[in-house]
Amino acid sequence: MNAIFSAIFLLSAVLFLIFDPDGFLPALLSGGEKAATLSLSLLAVYCVWLGFFKVMEQSGVSEKLSRILAPAAGKLLRTRDKEGISLAVYNLSANLLGLPGAPTPLGVKATERFCARGERYAACMLFVLNATSLQLLPATAIALRAAAGSASPADIFLPTLLCTALTSLLGALGVRCFVRR
Amino acid sequence: MNFLSLLLPLLFVGVFSYALFRRVKLYDCFAEGVRGAIPLVVSLFPYLAAILILSELFSRSGLSSALSAFLSPAFRALGIPEEIAPLVLVKPFSGSGSTALLSELLASYGADSYVGRCACVCYGSSETVFYISAVYFASVKDKKLFLPVVIALVANFVGVIAGCFFCRFL
Repeated sequence: MNAIFSAIFLLSAVLFLIFDPDGFLPALLSGGEKAATLSLSLLAVYCVWLGFFKVMEQSGVSEKLSRILAPAAGKLLRTRDKEGISLAVYNLSANLLGLPGAPTPLGVKATERFCARGERYAACMLFVLNATSLQLLPATAIALRAAAGSASPADIFLPTLLCTALTSLLGALGVRCFVRR
Repeated sequence: MNFLSLLLPLLFVGVFSYALFRRVKLYDCFAEGVRGAIPLVVSLFPYLAAILILSELFSRSGLSSALSAFLSPAFRALGIPEEIAPLVLVKPFSGSGSTALLSELLASYGADSYVGRCACVCYGSSETVFYISAVYFASVKDKKLFLPVVIALVANFVGVIAGCFFCRFL
């Protein structure tokens, strides 16, 4: 990540230097501004979902759910850590359902937990599954197509589903082949 | 979306009534959960800022358009319409940036055109890899992210090729 960051940063900075030296600082600042506003909206989202998940946890819903899904998830992530598995299960189901904002706090917590316990394989698998998109319904794309006056906005459903299944499968295979436990 | 608009309230009603049935103190419990929100945001913030500044530099410096111009012959050879090259390049960095690009593409080529449909499939089937890596691994000290990030990028790129292929007949 450090290499990627340095390469892109330096290349862009050199381009600014050559073509548009005055545009450099505004670009940096607008990135910072986006980070500030985005963190505020993330905070709002986390308030709602972390509150909700605490209720799920204390009422015992989460225990039941993860008891059903844990064996499969445990195999996928190659871990026996119950708490981590249940966080990962919620993260993945929130992804599938496309609940806006819900997957992130859970994914962050699960990753933190897996890494603290040295379960890098599980953390990588969870990250790759999240980063290859698992959404069943591409809600934003359909909404944008409808707004652009499409005759049948939802007809991208099937190709998108096939495609996202393929990317997740490839990602999972990649982790299986290349990431050591 | 109808599905989502029904699902959300149902989920909350279902879980909260079950919690009441199990005699959970809803108010205290909910507030206890929210307590974790601020530390979470604080731990994410530095990485979020670094990635967003990087993505702003990437698009504003012209690097992203130069790269997409440079890569468009390769994209065409793989069956990806060159019009969506900028979308494919920006998506790993920024969700809002790629959403803006998608709506521009839909406006200029039409929502039902081949380009428009390809763009939607690519948008819907990939994720903001760099952004997610920054957020998920924010509080992890030992960040060996190269391998998972590359795996995710490659998988998403193959997905783009496959998506443009599917759009030809689906």
